[in-house]
Amino acid sequence: MVQFLIRRIFWAFFLFFVATIITYIIFFVIPTDPAQIACGVHCVPAILKQVRHSLHLDLPIYQQYWIFVWNMVKHQSLGYSFVNGASVRWVIGQDAPVTASLVFGGAVFWLALSIPIGILSALRPRSIVDRFAMVFVLVGISAPAVWIGLILAYLIGFKLGWTPIAGYCNLLPGGAAGTCSGPAEWAYHLILPWMTFMFLFAALYVRLIRANVMETMTEDYVRTARAKGASAQRVLFQHVLRNSMLPVVTILGMDIGLALGGAVFTETVFQLRGLGSDLVQSAFKDDLPVVVGVVVFATLAVIVFNFLVDVAYAWLDPRIRLNT
Amino acid sequence: MRRKHVLSLLMLSMGVALLIAATTVGVASSANAKVSSAKSLKGGVLHVAQSAGSFDTLDPGLAYVTNDWEVLYSTGLNLVNFPNKAGQAGSQLFPEAAKSFPTISKNGTTVTFHLRSGLKFDDGSPVTAASYQRAWERILSPKMYAQYGIFDQLNKMVVGAQAFTDGKTQHISGISAKGLTLTFHLTKPNPTFVSILGMQWFNAVKPSMKYSKVSSGILKYPSAGPYYIATNQPGRTVVLKRNKYYHGPRLANPNEIVINSYPNSNGEAALLQIEKNQLDFDMGGVPADDVAKVAKTYGGPNKGQFHVGGQACIIWEAFNNAKAPTNNVNVRKALNYAIGRTPIIRLLGPYAGSASDQILVKGLPGYKKFSAYGNYPNFAKAKAVGGSALNGAPALNIYYNQASTFRTNEAQFEKAQLAHIGLTANLEPSNPTDYYGPLETKGTDYNIAHSGWCADYFDPFDFINVNFDGRSIQPTGNVDYFYFNNSKFNSMMDHAASLSGTARANAYAALDKTLMTKYAPAFPLYVPTFRYLTAKRVKNVIYSNYFGYPILNAMSVG
Repeated sequence: MVQFLIRRIFWAFFLFFVATIITYIIFFVIPTDPAQIACGVHCVPAILKQVRHSLHLDLPIYQQYWIFVWNMVKHQSLGYSFVNGASVRWVIGQDAPVTASLVFGGAVFWLALSIPIGILSALRPRSIVDRFAMVFVLVGISAPAVWIGLILAYLIGFKLGWTPIAGYCNLLPGGAAGTCSGPAEWAYHLILPWMTFMFLFAALYVRLIRANVMETMTEDYVRTARAKGASAQRVLFQHVLRNSMLPVVTILGMDIGLALGGAVFTETVFQLRGLGSDLVQSAFKDDLPVVVGVVVFATLAVIVFNFLVDVAYAWLDPRIRLNT
Repeated sequence: MRRKHVLSLLMLSMGVALLIAATTVGVASSANAKVSSAKSLKGGVLHVAQSAGSFDTLDPGLAYVTNDWEVLYSTGLNLVNFPNKAGQAGSQLFPEAAKSFPTISKNGTTVTFHLRSGLKFDDGSPVTAASYQRAWERILSPKMYAQYGIFDQLNKMVVGAQAFTDGKTQHISGISAKGLTLTFHLTKPNPTFVSILGMQWFNAVKPSMKYSKVSSGILKYPSAGPYYIATNQPGRTVVLKRNKYYHGPRLANPNEIVINSYPNSNGEAALLQIEKNQLDFDMGGVPADDVAKVAKTYGGPNKGQFHVGGQACIIWEAFNNAKAPTNNVNVRKALNYAIGRTPIIRLLGPYAGSASDQILVKGLPGYKKFSAYGNYPNFAKAKAVGGSALNGAPALNIYYNQASTFRTNEAQFEKAQLAHIGLTANLEPSNPTDYYGPLETKGTDYNIAHSGWCADYFDPFDFINVNFDGRSIQPTGNVDYFYFNNSKFNSMMDHAASLSGTARANAYAALDKTLMTKYAPAFPLYVPTFRYLTAKRVKNVIYSNYFGYPILNAMSVG
């Protein structure tokens, strides 16, 4: 297991640096002139030269990349926004809790819904429950996040008035003066975004869980367990679910990692200033340091969650350890 | 059967949890509202959203767009300022930090202000003449991110300002600050000078306030107006708190004003929030698609919560007077007849504004309504006026911002209209992040570009001289992006600028008409409005057509 972990950690670091190289090259080499963007309005050549020097754009690309990595590792600095001069680390520090709240809360919601429905559909295939579940799956997969979000905001937030229509409150008390905070307000403001996430992802997970459970139910060891007199509940929880959840864990890790990189549509509908929202806005404004920062953070999130999935997978299925 | 129970219980528990969360917090909110309604109009927190936008900067030495100025008006203290009054009265300057309007020397070049004593910044330090001297230096200093003062030719108004902007001197020699006495030495008599000081660039700042090479400038700094900036998270949240040292006549109703910016939002969520009293006001206004419905729901404009306010702005299609075929006055006149104003305004929904084919707007001295070209397309007249200039004319480049649905539709509409008079056009989308840069660069290849102008200060000089003085044309950063340079008209502008009183107003009225009927350097389109909804609890809504917004510090949620 230790060897397995070391190998996975090494690959995580390697992947991270490869991702940063690609990101850096895409965003700092392809655009016309970052110095011109940073220099702003009425930039005269003398100042442009100063800006180019201060951004190290007058150095060879490998040196620029090295400075970028060095600042990131040594000073935990991802640079400063061209648009408003804010530290990118600060921007991510502001955005990440919002997106994380949305994604992790959403994940709890979608798992809480999809696991029971998926299992039930698998246990009673072609029953009324199964058919309803499939309709739900089709609607969830077909409907865009924006549409689901707007419908929820309109029906539950506006018409029924049960939840806030949009906005975010910090989980922990404090934050900027005049802004709301605290666990109750935080959860209250996130109910609709979580439900939006739930509808989007639960549809996929119901389908996935249903298929996996149905497949596992036909395995020899399940039949053996039944033949040995194990109760239906024991067969389901001890033999079927443990094995049928392996692919779910894999997909969950990847989905959470990707969603952390930006749940753009949900954030936009509910006015959440998260990573996705800022990524889109920064891309529109050619604010390259923020774009790079968010992409690097998202890359890190995907790698970390894949790593966790690998570890969880290895723990759940000893064959993985033996084969690597 | 048991498995079904498990699922049902799980779903039931989720539902119950949602309901409990919804009802407990919802009840708390209602209870608070009842308690606060019993209090006076002063107090409470005004919750403002800014959909589809954010503040460029709240540094008075850098701010140059209306939403930034809307906030600075609530935080700043000017020598002369606009009162918290609606309508025309709200655009009449009054001496605020100054004891009275200035004394002006006989030759008109020395302007002296005496400040009131006891004025203080929110940190308790005194406001002195040096506070205003520093404000001038910050708007013109080469050590700042941008020298926006040059746009309004401030560098030519005060003695020594040009040398200062060139970095040759440490201070502007023509501004002298001694205690509470501030003296300006002007390069020539300037009847607009006092009006200019009403701009938010001239908020009192501490003499030690630093220069900034960052576009967002200094985020937080002591201010002397009714409020101060307590929190400024660029692109996100701004919180204003009441300045306990401000005792002037402007209102300071809410205890706090919280403004959250949502650049990616189209305003639909904010609209619903206002209707449910979860938000007080959206600086992004009512989305165009919703205006008709909102107007119907709230009984029409200005009868309750739905408001429509005119702005001291003119939206125009700029013509490039230096590039064929719009370098030909007959083509420019033909375009003024052919495009049609009203059909374009209709693209923006009801109450979007009123058509205009003149440069000056209502409320400015010298404004006299006329109509030279009409509001609907007149192709026969356009062809007649354009004559031979239309034959074989090269294709026009219509420059537009493709990120805007309206601008895109407008550009396509114009292209279709041009075809009626035998002109062809290319649609030229702008860089989404830099619309004005190419437009303001001499030699630009556009022929028609959507733009406009809002009053920096209430004087016709700001609309006519600032925009159409061809002697100001430089390689980049041109305010005269029409590239209109007519020596005869330049002389007429100089003459009008030197006048005062009725003679000045008449001269500018004549200039406005001459400019459009004789030279037609642009296609004035409409005077825009701001269409907005306020929450039921919001009282005392005073709209300023200068800022184009209701005054934040006057709104009451107490």
